[in-house]
Amino acid sequence: MRLPDSVTGSFLVALGAAAAYGGWILPPVPGQPVGPNVFPLVIGCGLALCGLAIVFGIGHSFEEEEELIPFEDGQAASPPPQSKLYGLRALLPPALLLFYVLAADRLGFIITAAIMVYVTSTALGAKWKLALPLAALSPFAIHLIFGKLLRVPLPVGLLPTPW
Amino acid sequence: MLKTLIDAFALISTWEVIIAMFAASVYGLVIGSLPGLSATMATALLVPVTFYLSPIAAIATIVAASSMAIFSGDIPGALLRIPGTPASAAYADEAYAMTRKGQAELALGAGVWFSAVGGIAGVLSLMILAPPLAEIALSFSTFEYFWLALLGLMCATLVARSSPVKAIAGMFIGLLVSCVGIENPGGIPRFTFGITDLFGGIEPIPALVGVFAVAQVMRAMLTPEPPPLPRRKFGSIMAGQWKLTKLYHWQMTRGNIVGIIIGVLPGAGADMAAWVSYAMSKRFSKEPEKFGTGHVEGLVEAGASNNASIASGWVPSLLFGIPGDTIAAIAIGVLYMKGLNPGPTLFTEKASSMYAIYLMFIIANILMIPLGIAMIRVAAYILLAPRSTVMPIIMLCCAVGSFAIGNNMFGVVTVAAFGVIGYVMEANGYPVAAMVLGIVMGTMVEQAFVTSLIKSDGSVLPFFERPVAAILAAMAIGALLWPVMVWIWRKVKPVQTAAATSR
Repeated sequence: MRLPDSVTGSFLVALGAAAAYGGWILPPVPGQPVGPNVFPLVIGCGLALCGLAIVFGIGHSFEEEEELIPFEDGQAASPPPQSKLYGLRALLPPALLLFYVLAADRLGFIITAAIMVYVTSTALGAKWKLALPLAALSPFAIHLIFGKLLRVPLPVGLLPTPW
Repeated sequence: MLKTLIDAFALISTWEVIIAMFAASVYGLVIGSLPGLSATMATALLVPVTFYLSPIAAIATIVAASSMAIFSGDIPGALLRIPGTPASAAYADEAYAMTRKGQAELALGAGVWFSAVGGIAGVLSLMILAPPLAEIALSFSTFEYFWLALLGLMCATLVARSSPVKAIAGMFIGLLVSCVGIENPGGIPRFTFGITDLFGGIEPIPALVGVFAVAQVMRAMLTPEPPPLPRRKFGSIMAGQWKLTKLYHWQMTRGNIVGIIIGVLPGAGADMAAWVSYAMSKRFSKEPEKFGTGHVEGLVEAGASNNASIASGWVPSLLFGIPGDTIAAIAIGVLYMKGLNPGPTLFTEKASSMYAIYLMFIIANILMIPLGIAMIRVAAYILLAPRSTVMPIIMLCCAVGSFAIGNNMFGVVTVAAFGVIGYVMEANGYPVAAMVLGIVMGTMVEQAFVTSLIKSDGSVLPFFERPVAAILAAMAIGALLWPVMVWIWRKVKPVQTAAATSR
């Protein structure tokens, strides 16, 4: 997800401008010169200025390129396959969290959590022999800690826990 | 004084506190030793648990887990050359070189011993510095608080190992996030887009969990698994440490002092302390040529430094509510939740709680020695756990923990969103720590800024009229201009050297 500085910088300019405008149109507090509009205005302008500076490459010389530690003994790590879809794997964790938000109330904590664990584990390269027991057991362990000991009201859904 | 001390002892000698502290220590050691799971993440994931504990037990868990995790990051650093936490990155190469020379015991022992010493030095600084600073802080008005907060934010951008412009942009993004909600000077919904869940603002803790934990799981999806740890038998771990202490007592003290100073500076934390101390150790060493070949001197100084910064990072947090580093930022959230609102009056009104915090820091650092040794011995087994079993559980904890903070699903959405934001920012060189500090301090900065503006009737002059405010303003503006000066100096220097060679 390494984007060129011009892209991230332009995005910041847009974000800053939007924030400043959003602050500008807020209603002032009657009889007072400063209200809720000042702070977003200042931040928005600052953000837009930073964005401009980034677009023009100011401060780039301060950045340190990330050093990759080479493996010794010649056992170089196999380079990850460079297909376009491969990068999208990174979006899996937030997608699973959103899935939890949507499904937990209906399916219940245990089932939703088991699906999350199984998918994450498999995506990280676990065989089903490892992922399946993990998915079966870890939701109960988490439920025991958070639901039972700490009394977080986790959704029950289809499958009630034995306690 | 003595009565407060006895009160403090009574506060911490309950079963709840003792069990919480022990469990958090083990938890911190395990999370810190797993590569990719940082001390900040360990602390952030702990917050939902602290909701259900008494105030002192809650702080005990934070104190114990953060101190232990910073030490235990040294373990995979020394054995695998992969730092467990960013704070160990500075000397992971050195420690690994020692392991290859067959001195793994000495390297890890130095990690435990000098971490504990550094931690205790940090607590002492907290005990000595905080009360007199509280006296001064009592006379602060909103002008001083505004400049102080600004100085904190500027420090956070200065120490980032990235472009200062990007760091400042990150800070602005954090401040912008803190603008959301109705908690603003006018009490009107701001940037809520009509979404009811946004009226209360964006909670800092789910944002932190997202940035530090979810983003890490996202990165794990794309990076290859670290190699397994070769099993080895350890000899005596503490042997020779006392000799090292006597030999390198000056380096140790210097490491402690540097760590304390960096910890007190808002925004700069343990990783910065370790980098600076390691560099200093190399610069002032009598045998700098040995550095990088498995020389223990740098380890002593940097290990003493990063743990010292953990405790001293609490100084600005407790006094002003300005976090010394990202871990302290989380601690501030817990302090507010538990009714121990940071501020100078904390030291007079809740003196026994303050002493309890000092005591817990000391106990945690003493406890570090036996638990740390045990951890080193079992590390080989813990590091056997593949990522594909650890990361899914982290994910579950993120979901459940963020739900538990407000018992609503919006927390989980926040975590997911900040996971993406943190991942994209990190990948493009925007330091996330600057954004986190912006989120945590935003409300305070705005309050101080707007109140000051109302008091001064729109004029800028009163911001500089009070002596302390003027000094703080000069420091904050200096911090802002520092990168510019470095940049100019870098531009001028090559010209000078070119001119010198052509002559």
